[in-house]
Amino acid sequence: MSGNNSYTKLQPQGAEDVQSPSYPGNYSARTKKRWGSTPNSYIGTLNSTTTDGIHTQLSPDHIFPAQLYSTESGRLFHAGKILIALVGLPARGKTHLSVSLTRYLRWLGVKTQSFHVSDYRRKAYSNFEDDIPQDYFSASPKTEEGIKIREQIINGCLSDIMSFFERERGQVAIYDALNALKIHRLEVEELFSKMNIKVLFIESIVDDAKLLKRNVNNAAASPDYEGWDPKLAKSDYLKRIQANAPIYEQIDFDKTETHLNYIKFINFGERLVTHNSQHGYLINRIVFFLMNSRIKAGRVYFARCGKSNLDKYIDDELLNSEGLEYSEILCKTLLARLKEKRKQELREMINESPIYSTPISSVNSQSSSSNVSTENIPSLTRKHLSRQPSTADGSSVNSFVVWTATRKRTSETANPFRRKGITVRERYQLNQLNTGAVADMPEEEIIKIFENEYLQDLKDPYHHRYPRAESYHDLAVRMEPLLLEMERMDGDILIIAHESVLRVLYGYLMACSCYSIPALEFPRDELIEISYTPYENLTKRIKLEGVEP
Amino acid sequence: MPVYTVSHVSNIRICVVMVGLPARGKSFISQRIVRYLSWLSIKAKSFNVGNYRREKKSHPNAEFFDSHNEDGLKIRKEAAVEAVKDMMKFFQDELGVVAILDATNSTKERRDWILKLCRENSIEPMFLESWCDDDSIITKNIMDVKTSSPDYLGQDPELAAKDFIKRISKYKETYEPLEVETNKDLTFIKLINVSEQVIINKIETYLESRIVYYVMNLHIKPRSIYLSRHGESMYNLEGKIGGDADLSERGWKYAQKLPELVKKVLKSEEHDDYDDDDDTDIKLTVWTSTLKRTQQTASYLPYDKLQWKALDELDAGACDGLTYEEIELQFPQDFKERDENKYEYRYRGGESYRDVVIRLEPIIMELELQENILIITHQAILRCIYAYFMNIPQEESPWMSIPLHTLIKLEPRAFKTIVERIKADIPAVSTYKEKGTSQLGEIEDINNKSKNLITGAPLR
Repeated sequence: MSGNNSYTKLQPQGAEDVQSPSYPGNYSARTKKRWGSTPNSYIGTLNSTTTDGIHTQLSPDHIFPAQLYSTESGRLFHAGKILIALVGLPARGKTHLSVSLTRYLRWLGVKTQSFHVSDYRRKAYSNFEDDIPQDYFSASPKTEEGIKIREQIINGCLSDIMSFFERERGQVAIYDALNALKIHRLEVEELFSKMNIKVLFIESIVDDAKLLKRNVNNAAASPDYEGWDPKLAKSDYLKRIQANAPIYEQIDFDKTETHLNYIKFINFGERLVTHNSQHGYLINRIVFFLMNSRIKAGRVYFARCGKSNLDKYIDDELLNSEGLEYSEILCKTLLARLKEKRKQELREMINESPIYSTPISSVNSQSSSSNVSTENIPSLTRKHLSRQPSTADGSSVNSFVVWTATRKRTSETANPFRRKGITVRERYQLNQLNTGAVADMPEEEIIKIFENEYLQDLKDPYHHRYPRAESYHDLAVRMEPLLLEMERMDGDILIIAHESVLRVLYGYLMACSCYSIPALEFPRDELIEISYTPYENLTKRIKLEGVEP
Repeated sequence: MPVYTVSHVSNIRICVVMVGLPARGKSFISQRIVRYLSWLSIKAKSFNVGNYRREKKSHPNAEFFDSHNEDGLKIRKEAAVEAVKDMMKFFQDELGVVAILDATNSTKERRDWILKLCRENSIEPMFLESWCDDDSIITKNIMDVKTSSPDYLGQDPELAAKDFIKRISKYKETYEPLEVETNKDLTFIKLINVSEQVIINKIETYLESRIVYYVMNLHIKPRSIYLSRHGESMYNLEGKIGGDADLSERGWKYAQKLPELVKKVLKSEEHDDYDDDDDTDIKLTVWTSTLKRTQQTASYLPYDKLQWKALDELDAGACDGLTYEEIELQFPQDFKERDENKYEYRYRGGESYRDVVIRLEPIIMELELQENILIITHQAILRCIYAYFMNIPQEESPWMSIPLHTLIKLEPRAFKTIVERIKADIPAVSTYKEKGTSQLGEIEDINNKSKNLITGAPLR
């Protein structure tokens, strides 16, 4: 871990200073020492909350949802600067990878930006059908013009990356290009090493024909082929692959790149090989992310919990009759939606019976195959070689799982699903924002008792924390272990939770700025559906008929 | 209704099959995985084939491990069978989730046998190979073994090392490492020279990925973790729990003395790059909670500081700000229930110890990765962190006594964690409550072995 960045040290506070804080509760967490900038300057830069904000440019002072602290350099002090250079032929999911990795790292508070060479090319040649010399798409063009254009576009991209590090306080840049030739990779390595930036190559290799076909189909739906006949789009895209396949050089194929730091990412998570990559926090996080990375087919649904009589934080009540009715409508609407999306019957969604119905065959039994003995091992049969269907939640595309908080009314909202045999999991991390000293307090009372706190809250509702309460930021940090578990599920998942929790999860999936998260609204009469595409996540609100908002 | 920690596990059985020559850190990794998972209430156990073998043959020499030694082969096979039998019992009778088969498992034949048994019993095998040709790492491991292995108990360390090296070469004759080409359908992780190269193949569940992530965060660099409660607070003086009170006068004295205590223990560390004139050269980061009393305690320390909401004291919900006597009066049923099962009891509108462990998981993950850290936090939180490093069972950890105004140094070593306590010599009230009373203060308790681990009071 490098501590080479200059960052604002949290100054040791004098005793007097701490003894008489201007505000009760967690005083120094809200001082400028922790959050180096005033949120007011962002009001104009809020991204839309209905479209995925993952491609939004960041301001140098941007603060991320689960960021632990801010520094003068804008970088976390327990990790250095990293350029992640992607390597791989077209249709290897590089863009998907760079987008989802950016989402995850940004969430953790790492200033990350993807740089897609294809975006630069699109900017230069909006009408790419006619104007671009076809050999541009080869990693080593033959015509003079092709060489020139390729150089221009790539240099434009690289110089933006450099200025991201130098002027925009960037910590991780993801360079989304083919990087198909060894000579290009060595150039990139040399260029950025000189700037004291660690270069990590992630090579995406796909040799699974099914996966490849899916990626090609996805690509044919990309911005490049807007308005094209799908068949033509596909064949054009295949041409781009063919142009590069013969000249493509895998990393370290001839053992001349052993000095590089690289990760080979094979068939989107089937196998990972890390090389020279023992650099602590960020790289381990990236590997953890890659282990759980999927090209996701399943959708994520969000719903509020039903109502209880008093709707109070501290009492933890059961649902009232209105809440029970709501839970039934929710279940009915969601299952109808899933059926429509999957065109399949509900009983197929009910997860397989738990593994504990399979008893351990007694180790002392007479049956020869289960006898634990090392004598005369019969050769392995096909049954032993093939993997059993995985039994974890969400391991098949047909699975459907419901997650709720551990609080009573949230969990009870899932009862109609339980009755249908659908898996429901209670997760402590999904419990609602703890409102501490102002729990269940009407606004007028808060203003009366905690006037200063109230003003602070208006200023920065994401980071502000009432005495003993959690902030949205705290909630985001608390939910971190759930994110990738949710991401790796192949099937659909419904999350029933309090509005505060939905705001934060939605903020992750749609890359909302932390200044817009506290204001997101999830009325009870809407079911949120989020689906994944390689370039961005899409959201849809589905009306729950017969429910009061 | 059980609460899930990192992953839902009731329909998962995983067998982590260690692979590798002797002195490759297999037992170290096995024990750490068990510690991590057990702490998260995921039932995990390590089955060390060597321990089973020692029951039949306690001090074997290298010849015993020769692949032509019929007697040796027979005993080693029997030991493996017994370990696997116990492992199956663990899955069946104890509803185990993760078992670790800690042995060399160095031949394909042996691994196929385990693979077959796993597949026939709906257990997911996950192979974890530690492969190493870096002499400095191997030598270090051999040094550890010759002094700590029961195989060489009471023997001359030099002769032990020689014999052990010979034993390794015997294993080498038949060793077949995992290969991507031939094992591409298996779930396996191959660590080459600790983490120079890591191959991760076919990870199928989130729990497996979390285990791999954990293993990747482990490092063998020497470091220490320092723990301290906040100084005595105004609430401590009044016997109240929770709240966000300021330090008492004596609490402030502790805060003022803390830099000196920390400096002293840091100085006793033997760092090569240590410069006597400049104390800040040793890298230390201070972690506090978001509550005033921990930040005030840290206020005189000249190191980088980081606040974690996850380090806040256990939330006592409706009982926050009360004394134990008041709780006993106002919530008699709750008071009783908490004493009966302190780990699981969740305060009304608040948290249980189990809830706290869940929110501390990312902290533990981060701690494994970091080097020197000083954590200033609260009684319940320290009990949970301490329980992780010292393998304290859930029934005992909430009852451990952790005095105020004491700095605790934990030094994680390969097989155990070394504890040192540095008392500040500033008086403070006791905040310890025994089972079955609302009075504060320590009473002898011979049934609780862990209670005084931290205070260092002699055990009976």
